[in-house]
This record gives sequence, C-alpha cells and structure tokens, in this order.
Amino acid sequence: MKFMRITLKLIVGAVLLIAPNAVSAQDSFIEVTAPGNRQLKLAVDVPRSVDTVTPAIAKELGDVITFDINMSGTVAAASREPATGTVSPPLAQTEFVAWKNAGYDLLVRSEYSLKGNELTVEFRLFDLPNQKMMTARRFLGKKQDLRRFAHSFSDEIMLALTGEKGCFTTRITFVSTHNRNKEIAIMDWDGHNALPLTNNGSINLNPDFSRDGREIIFTSYKKGNPDLYRRSLFSTAEIPVSNRKGLNVTGTWSPDGTRIALALSKDGDSEIYTIARDGSNPVRLTVNPAIEIYPAWSPDGTRLAFVSDRLGKPQVFIMNADGSNTHRLTGSGSYNVNPRWSPKGDRIAYVRQQGGSFQIYTINVDGSNDTQLTTDGSNENPSWSPDGRFIAFSSKRSGVQGVYVMRADGTGQTRVGQGKGSASQPAWSPRY
Amino acid sequence: MQVIKKLMKMLCCMGIMIAATACANKEVVKKDEPLGTTHTAASMPAIPFAEKTIKPPQQENKIDKPAAAPVESARQAPQAVKVAAATSDLEKIFFDLDSSNLSNDARQVLVKDAETMMQLNNLKVTIEGHCDERGSAEYNLALGERRARAAMQYLITLGVPAAKLSVVSYGKEKPAVVGNTESAWTKNRRDEFVVQR
Repeated sequence: MKFMRITLKLIVGAVLLIAPNAVSAQDSFIEVTAPGNRQLKLAVDVPRSVDTVTPAIAKELGDVITFDINMSGTVAAASREPATGTVSPPLAQTEFVAWKNAGYDLLVRSEYSLKGNELTVEFRLFDLPNQKMMTARRFLGKKQDLRRFAHSFSDEIMLALTGEKGCFTTRITFVSTHNRNKEIAIMDWDGHNALPLTNNGSINLNPDFSRDGREIIFTSYKKGNPDLYRRSLFSTAEIPVSNRKGLNVTGTWSPDGTRIALALSKDGDSEIYTIARDGSNPVRLTVNPAIEIYPAWSPDGTRLAFVSDRLGKPQVFIMNADGSNTHRLTGSGSYNVNPRWSPKGDRIAYVRQQGGSFQIYTINVDGSNDTQLTTDGSNENPSWSPDGRFIAFSSKRSGVQGVYVMRADGTGQTRVGQGKGSASQPAWSPRY
Repeated sequence: MQVIKKLMKMLCCMGIMIAATACANKEVVKKDEPLGTTHTAASMPAIPFAEKTIKPPQQENKIDKPAAAPVESARQAPQAVKVAAATSDLEKIFFDLDSSNLSNDARQVLVKDAETMMQLNNLKVTIEGHCDERGSAEYNLALGERRARAAMQYLITLGVPAAKLSVVSYGKEKPAVVGNTESAWTKNRRDEFVVQR
C-alpha cells in the first residue's frame, strides 16, 4: 500500500512539470564522453528554502543527486556551498559566471518548501558556459517522497546529458536474513528505504521482478518443497505459480512478460522450461541428463543463456528460446554460473569460480572480450540496471554478504544498503 | 529382473545379519526381532514429540477407543518409540566435493538405513540433499537434489518401496555446521533421512 501511495504521489508531482521553456532536450545534449576532454564538473548548490529552512531536507536533496550523478560516472558531481559565498539567490537569479569561475561546467539548483508534511521541490539544471537552463522539474508530495523526487531529477539530468533517462528511481529486490530466515526484501537502488516483502519464516530465494515492476516471483520452501511463488508489491498474498514435484527454482520473467523461464526437476533432473504467468503450459527446452539451471533471457526474448554441467563442471550455454542451437558461451574458466543478459543485448554478465572465490565477468554474446570486473572478496549474482549502466551483485568482501552496485565496466563498486543480517541475490527492477 | 532384485534383497539382508552379529552394538536392530520397547526406552528423548502426530495402527485404535486415557497413551508408546528410534537410527551419508557418487561408506550406511525404513510400516521418508557452501547457491540446489536422488535409487534397489521415499534439495541453504573449514564442508555435503510424521 505504501508503494502505491508513493507512486500515486509521484504521478501527481510529475503532472506539475514546469513548462519546458528551455530549448528541447534534443538540442541541449552536451558532449560528456569526448576522448581527450577532462571530465565535466557539476556543482550541486545547497537546496534553497522558500520559507522555513530545514537543513536535513536541504542536505538529503543535495546528497541524493550528488550520489546518483557520481555513480553514473558521466560527470563529476559535488555538493557545494553557494559559489558567491552568500545565501543562494532565487532560482531565476542564478549567478552563472560565479559558478563557472569556480571551475564548474554544470549546476543543479533547487528550491523546497515544507508545510506540515507537504513537500514541494523544484529543480533546475544549468549549462554554465552557455548560461542556459537545460531542464527543470517541480514535484509536489509528502516529506517521505523527498529522496524519490531527487532521484527523479537525477533521471532527468541523465536524459539532458546523455539522451537516455537514468534509472535512479528503480529498486532492487534481494534475499535478506534480517530476521535470521532467508526472506525477500526490497530497497531503492541506492540501498535506502529497505522494506521486507515476505515474512513466512522459511527459506526464500532468487526474487525476480515482473516487467512492469509491480510483482516479483521467487522460490520458497514454505510448504516444504522449493516452489515458485508470485506476489504483488502492494499486497502480502503469495500465490503459488509452480509447485511441481522437485525443484521449481531460478524463475525469471520473459521480456514481454508472458512467460517465465525456470528450472524444474519434475521429470527426474533439473531442466530448463518456460511456463505461462499462471504456471500452466510448461514447455521443456533442454533434454540432458546433466544439471540445467538459472535461465536468463536475451532482451528480445529470442534466446536464453543458462547453466549446465553437461561437460562435467557448470558452464554457461546459450540456446534459442525454442531450445535449439545450444552452444557454450565461454571456453575459459572451469566453473561459470549466474548468467544475466544486458538490457542492450550485447553483453552477458556471469560469475566464475576461481581460487576459492567467485568473481563477476562480462563477455560479448559471441564469446569475445571476456572481462573480469571484480577482484575483491567473493562476488555473485550480477543483475543489470534497466539502462545497462550498472550491475548489482552480492559480495562477501566486508565479511557479511551485502548488495553492491558498480558501473558496467566494473568501476565505482559501492555497497548499497547496510541493514541487519546479510543481503544476497539482488535483482534490479525495470523502470517505473 | 525380479530374480535379481530378490537375490539382491537376500544378499542385503544377509549382509545386515552378518553386520548385526559381527558388531556387538546393542543399538543395531536385528531384522527378525520387532522393535522392542525395552532396549530403546533409554535412548528415547523424542517420545513426546512423536506421540502427538503418530497414528496408532487401525486395530489398536479400535481397542483403545473405549479404554481409559492412561491405557491409551501406554498403547501408543510402542509405536512412538519405534518412530523415534528409527529417526535417530537413520544415519546421514556424506559426499565428496561437487559429487553425487555414493562412496562405499555411504552404501554401507544406506544398507542399514534401508533395513530400518522397511520396518517403518506406513511411514514415509524424505531424503534431504545438502551441499557445502563453496558452490554457487543455485547450482547447489540441483546438486543437492542429485545427491538425494542417488540415495533414493540405491534405497529402492535395496528393496525400500519407491512410494515410501521422496526427495527435497536444500542446496547450501541448511548447513549442518556453520563454518568455512574443510571439516565443516565435509559435514555439510550430506543426505539426511527424515521420517514424515
């Protein structure tokens, strides 16, 4: 229910957009990746109150945007006191020259108003050399929507800078041991607003979001057998999807949302199947006495990567979505698992066991350009952000297993969420 | 096939008898002897647990119905004893790293377990397959199931009715011992046999 409310608020807020008096987004792209250029610098001015100053709100608004933009790696962001050294002037009187002289190329300014629990925030992004506004947004909602408003403007900043919207309003679902059992939980992509989803006291594993981000599927032992369940983020009902004899595990929604790929062992050993959303109409895709598990859809739904030990040790294979044309993805490594196809379709993230630990790799779909992304601790279960910019994964590098996020090239590895217990098996939501 | 099966059964039974006589351990139950109340009573902390859910055999039920409560619980006791004893007698088996092959040790344990299971009348046994923490969680779900199925196949060839047996894999989700030492891993790569109450 809480999510529903937040989502509704967000829609209300989004309707109150400032009329785009700036030039169209298409014209305002700036080059942020030109080789040889220094990285552009973005200042996040201290958010300005239009009535009562609330330092905590100002700080959080600025911190969210700075964190998001820095994690994106596109420009270097820093929260800054006003460049002029005085109190910030109204948004309409932004001092371009002072900020430019302080060494910045881009500037985010914002104004907020808090009346009771009602929060209004207006954000603007400025191009300092050209002294023009690139984009602006105004949000109206409750105080607890603050982070979401700021993430939402980070998405707009990414659109203005790169032509593709960010995914900073997305969430990550994961397995949490906060109550000592393995329960499914959810948090914002940056680890804030963590909430438990299941609370059945059993073992719950491998959550995956539906394509609209409103439901998850997961495996639970709550009835004794590892069965696949579905539940809405807005209700607590856990609906059985597949409770066939044996394993009903590693379920993942097809890109068009009509099918679920999973591993079933109803016919004696673990094989890859697809089933309908309601669990009916199983179609077996692999026929092999070996273990087949952990399917991963290509973004166009025409192919699946999966893990099989048909050659002895577990390895990643690719097949057509009808089960034909199976071939091995990589010849390197003796134990490769956890494939996840990038949203752009060009790369596959996977996990290799080496020297007693697991490390995350990405590789082209044709098997070329195999690249190791992690080296610190043991790292598993990569999951792409919907824009392909980030990969979430679990790591034991700090002792207790936690969820981390990195850029798709392996840089910027950052722990997200510091809740009680361990966190593992992250799965990134689609855009909302 | 039938002949071979029978022969195997006989051989196994003989094996058991030999084992039973060879080792003087009083916990080993001889085949011909019904599970008694006397020698298991001492090693029987699980009675109250079992008592609740175990249904006494039909004819016993009929006799018990008009009887007074104390008599009833006394009548139930032998059956409860039997289950409790069986549960604790069903020994775990262990596996090599990343393997579901039954070692000679494991086979010997299964021969004993099969014998106990066949005396469990209407009770069913779930074979739980487990792995150590080193493999990937998802692959281990399948590996654990393979381990459970390996034991199930062997128990069936030993004469345990297939209908008595089911498998469930916990992968590495339910370690017997927590720890990242060789000794912990060895104890965690296992099948456990749980009598369904």
